[in-house]
Amino acid sequence: MVELKNVDVHYVDGAKGGVDALNDVNIRINDGEFVFIVGDSGAGKSTLLKLLTREIQPTGGRVFVNGYNLKKLRNRKLPYFRRSLGMIFQDFRLIPTLTVYENVAFVLRVIDKSKKYIRQRVPYVLDLVRLNDKAKAYPGQLSGGEQQRVAIARAFACDPKIIIADEPTGNIDPKLSYDIVELLQDINDCGTTVIMVTHNHDLVKFYGGRVINLKEGSIAFDGTIEGAIEGE
Amino acid sequence: MRMSNFGYLVRRGVGSVFRNAMMSVASFCVLLVSLLLIGLSVLIAMDINIIMSNIEEKNEISVYVRGDLSTEELNHISDVISSNPNTMTGGVVYYSKDQAWEDEKEKLSEYAELFDYLEENPMPDTFRVTVSDVSRISDTAAEFKSIEGVERVDAPYDFARAMVNIRATLSVIALGLLAVMIVTSVIIVYNAIRSSVFARAKEINIMKVVGATNSFVKIPFFIEGMFIGIAAGAAAWGLTKVIYEVIVQLFEEDITIWRIFGLVNIVQFDDVTWYLLAADCVLGALLGAIGTIISTGKYVKV
Repeated sequence: MVELKNVDVHYVDGAKGGVDALNDVNIRINDGEFVFIVGDSGAGKSTLLKLLTREIQPTGGRVFVNGYNLKKLRNRKLPYFRRSLGMIFQDFRLIPTLTVYENVAFVLRVIDKSKKYIRQRVPYVLDLVRLNDKAKAYPGQLSGGEQQRVAIARAFACDPKIIIADEPTGNIDPKLSYDIVELLQDINDCGTTVIMVTHNHDLVKFYGGRVINLKEGSIAFDGTIEGAIEGE
Repeated sequence: MRMSNFGYLVRRGVGSVFRNAMMSVASFCVLLVSLLLIGLSVLIAMDINIIMSNIEEKNEISVYVRGDLSTEELNHISDVISSNPNTMTGGVVYYSKDQAWEDEKEKLSEYAELFDYLEENPMPDTFRVTVSDVSRISDTAAEFKSIEGVERVDAPYDFARAMVNIRATLSVIALGLLAVMIVTSVIIVYNAIRSSVFARAKEINIMKVVGATNSFVKIPFFIEGMFIGIAAGAAAWGLTKVIYEVIVQLFEEDITIWRIFGLVNIVQFDDVTWYLLAADCVLGALLGAIGTIISTGKYVKV
């Protein structure tokens, strides 16, 4: 579960005297939800994600993620908190010198899983994203869509409670974007909360569901919209 | 942490040594030269120490006692001198007036008839004392002087001062060199590991995002730094052996000359070989680790 209570984020900027990135934001996302976060550049989407991963601390208000009070979370505990999140990025962030299989196995090693577990888990998640046949390929040999699927497999491999996808379709063929969202929905169906930040309004309109629209650091809209897919 | 994952980190660290081959070679060479110089300096310092000790053992405090003392009194003085903390064990030699008289007669045998004019032996009883710490020779001499029955004390004060000065100068030079070499080594290793950290920035970022602990991120770099350090230590040990044995050979070819300077039993490499190998490897690993701590501490913030 994610809960933001009266959150302010104020960036100190010497020249301009400071920027309000988020202003009195209140959000509650329950377990198992699928949420789109939309908004123009500079609306505060990145700031919001950084708050959720505790890259930054709010200037005011409180942030709870997966039962952790992020304001009180000690640095020593930070890695263990991050293990409850799965991150997906616009630029995939795969390690180019490792194979697809190794890229997924890598994060499992990072969180200290056993060899046996890794040998079972990696093929399972690669199967989920339909990339088992590419296990031995290197990221450079894959298309953008395939690379993002590897990234999704990697995020899901650690069995996180929440998956946070930051513009996951930003760097791939628009037609393949739908694949990515559907994969995320499959993962959501397994009970994992998915928070997806996107610029792609067509995708949001197509799938519908809960949408949070940020405007100039505040929430302009937070509600459910009906998707085209359900209207068909 | 599981052993299998620790093994994985070790493999990554060692692999990194070869991936950043140029920087690894640079660090290896600098560490090698530093450890070689340190090793040779230590061996030579040990030799100089032996030579200095040999020379110093030739120092003697002569304690002259009054002529009218009984055997008990002489024994008492001998005991007091022996129990002085600065008296070398077994370093007290009693030189009786009769002995001194005979020696003197022998020395001046051409003038033997002169001695016949003397009715009494004018030589005093003497204790010749070797001290263990030359720098405290004047204090020790003063202590002997205050013993009841002692008439006069002679000590090689200038000699002692010179020895103390030489030792102090040599120590300062050696420590200075050591400090410069250690600092240089740490800086070079720091740079090598830092470039390795930059080369793997993406990996480190991913590790942090998925929840790697600090130690998990740092261990491969530690392995990398220590691997280079230990390799350089082992190589330095081999080179030290070769070079030192050449030096010893040069000296031993004409040992009589060196015997004059007390250079009779200098350190043999085989006697210290294992200590030196261990010291080289430990120091190499330590320098590698220090360089790594500084570079990762700054750039691997989780």
